[in-house]
Amino acid sequence: MPLTLESSDSLSKISLEGEIDIGCAAELQGLLVHALGSSKEVQVSLGSATDLDVTAVQLIWAARRAASASAVEFAVTGPVSEPLASTLLQAGFEDFAAIEIESLATGT
Amino acid sequence: MSAVSNSDQFKQSFREEAREILVDLESALLELNENPVDLELVGRIFRGLHTIKGSGAMFGFEDLAAFTHNLENAFDEVRNGRLQVNSELIDLTLSALDQIRAMLEDGAGVAPADPAACAEILSKVRQLAGISPEKPTREKAVPHPPVPVLGVGPLRDWHIHFAPGADMMRNGANPFLLLQELRQLGSLSVRASMAAVPPLGEQDPERCYVAWEMVLTTASDADAIRDVFIFVEDGCELTIEPSPMCAAEVTARALEDQRSQPTGRRSYDKPDNVSSLRVPAAKLDQFVDLVGELVTVQARLSEIAARRDDPEFAEVSEEIERLTSALRENSMNIRMLPIRATFEKFRRLVHDLARDLGKDVELTMEGADTELDKTVIDQLGDPLMHLIRNSIDHGIEPADVRASQGKPAVATIHLSARHSGASVLIAVSDDGAGIDAQAVRNRAIEKGVVAADAELTEAEIFALIFQPGFSTAKQVTDVSGRGVGMDVVRQRVDSLRGTIDVVSKPGLGTSVTLRLPLTLAIIDGLLVSIGDACFVLPLANTLECIELTRADIERANGKHVANVRDELIPYIRLREHFNIRTERPAIEQIMVVETEEGRFGFVVDQVLGNCQTVIKNLGRFYRHVQAVSGATILGNGTVALILDPQRLAQDALRSVTHGPRGHPASPCAKTSSRTSSVLDRTPTPVN
Repeated sequence: MPLTLESSDSLSKISLEGEIDIGCAAELQGLLVHALGSSKEVQVSLGSATDLDVTAVQLIWAARRAASASAVEFAVTGPVSEPLASTLLQAGFEDFAAIEIESLATGT
Repeated sequence: MSAVSNSDQFKQSFREEAREILVDLESALLELNENPVDLELVGRIFRGLHTIKGSGAMFGFEDLAAFTHNLENAFDEVRNGRLQVNSELIDLTLSALDQIRAMLEDGAGVAPADPAACAEILSKVRQLAGISPEKPTREKAVPHPPVPVLGVGPLRDWHIHFAPGADMMRNGANPFLLLQELRQLGSLSVRASMAAVPPLGEQDPERCYVAWEMVLTTASDADAIRDVFIFVEDGCELTIEPSPMCAAEVTARALEDQRSQPTGRRSYDKPDNVSSLRVPAAKLDQFVDLVGELVTVQARLSEIAARRDDPEFAEVSEEIERLTSALRENSMNIRMLPIRATFEKFRRLVHDLARDLGKDVELTMEGADTELDKTVIDQLGDPLMHLIRNSIDHGIEPADVRASQGKPAVATIHLSARHSGASVLIAVSDDGAGIDAQAVRNRAIEKGVVAADAELTEAEIFALIFQPGFSTAKQVTDVSGRGVGMDVVRQRVDSLRGTIDVVSKPGLGTSVTLRLPLTLAIIDGLLVSIGDACFVLPLANTLECIELTRADIERANGKHVANVRDELIPYIRLREHFNIRTERPAIEQIMVVETEEGRFGFVVDQVLGNCQTVIKNLGRFYRHVQAVSGATILGNGTVALILDPQRLAQDALRSVTHGPRGHPASPCAKTSSRTSSVLDRTPTPVN
């Protein structure tokens, strides 16, 4: 299963595994919406993800923006693989990737 | 699943585009063979290979991409001046293109058609280019550092804005791979803009809302950059402009976008720009068929309107007639294609045949932008191929013979196309030995095709070469000599309602001209009547209409010649030609028509008016009927035959030269062949 959700009132953790592409996009959207509506803190784990396509990136980006608007803690956890980080940087998600990768580097 | 079918559709679209690129690559390679230092051509070839490789990988043709990658490397060496172009490289690359074509046609495109041949080609290419063997490259989203590729011009900055279309992701394309492709052209500064990304709950999760602002520093031109997007351009926003801003400014602008709030986002619901559309040919044929039906119904409506004294009804009928006419013209225009692609395909054939036969032959072209109906173009390939093969094998002399006759060492095959009224003339000419009319005649007598004492004109003798199984070749080669090819030419041209003209002069060369209708579907015509019968004359050939009275006939002393503004125009009485036994009116009409043989008049009883004519085939029993190119159904449900003025004029000339022969020229008379030769014409000049 490329996507799994562990959820409680306080924390929802969505783990991404392997290649996350358009085939998982609808499911990822559903999980993010559910997590944001049910927990005070949401974590998206990229530790086992090997590749993200643009649909996944824009969903996570929108989820972060939604969390910020509704005072939900939102974090991306890792460690993210070097090729994935490089893919995001080369696709021009410098600002987006920098935040996520920075947060990973500090171990949050 | 629609996503699956979309993906298949996208693969199919890639196949179609790739086939076009392969044709262009073949042309470029053969031009490069003649001019090995032309860097523009090298760049064109590199870009073509690069596009096939990149897009192939994107759509799952991974083996094809890996194979092409090696060729691309070789041409990169050429581009960088480390490898010289020679005929071996050209031939290897041409063979490689054949393999790529085979891979494209393979079901999923994952297996080479001939792995052994592919391996051999790659080994030779690597050896030639001095490239060490490498594992096949699988184009995946594996990031790699920018690899600046030197083009042929100075480095410059290009500002590229790219916003994928709504269905790009669903179609299986990946924008990250496109950025990777761009990086191979030079140094790329890229920034994703999230301004159009909707709130989480409002997103269509399978759609890409991200847009990219990029600055590419490269020596490549805008076309090369655009090629990267060639398979996704439709439906996307794409602008490529020489950069007025420095990279830092673009980055700042994109950053600003990325930080912007949802209120400032791009309107992601606005219609995407679509500049062109690929449509399956079958759909187009169906569309034209429907327009044809509409034209027939409209003719019926006009007929009814003419009979009723109802101005309102007549006005509506005229309006529908006007719209139908515009619709017909538009639908016909959609089907018109330049013949260039068909001509270009023969560069490879000429190159390969000349090499195999040890001859030096150059292919020249003229009028390649001439447009004709797609259906006609589709059926032209085979006849032209056989004519060219025949020319190279039998027409063009060996080098030593040419030298002894003082001819240029390089022989010429000349392909030309031009419009002539409602027809298009496609000619294949060579500067070879010409047809030996006596040898053809002897062979025909030997085979019992003609009687030993038959009196045949040169034109009739040349027509014999299109008989099934007829060949004067002393030797059957792999290329020709079995007497099949020319028969195929005749059959195909017959099926297109065309004619073949042959002009040949010993020692100077041969020119075979195919006269084909511009379209096989609908034409503008003039409806005329003789007695109770109606006929249609193509409007494109018709110049004017003049009266013919009994007094005029007497003044001409019974000769079939009319004096039109001091010009004597011979005319043909269609009543007599078609053996129609009704009473002649006191005043008849002469339709003056332009033909290849000059101006001719066709005498009819009455001119009934213009008509849009949906051409219907007469069926196989009537396919040899001369002077009639088809039939059409009139508004009142009756059938009118469509006349072929060119054939009528040629028949008339023949009867003047040789006197009437055989049966009267009834529309139902069957003739052995539609093939004829041009009278009193010098050979088409060959370059």
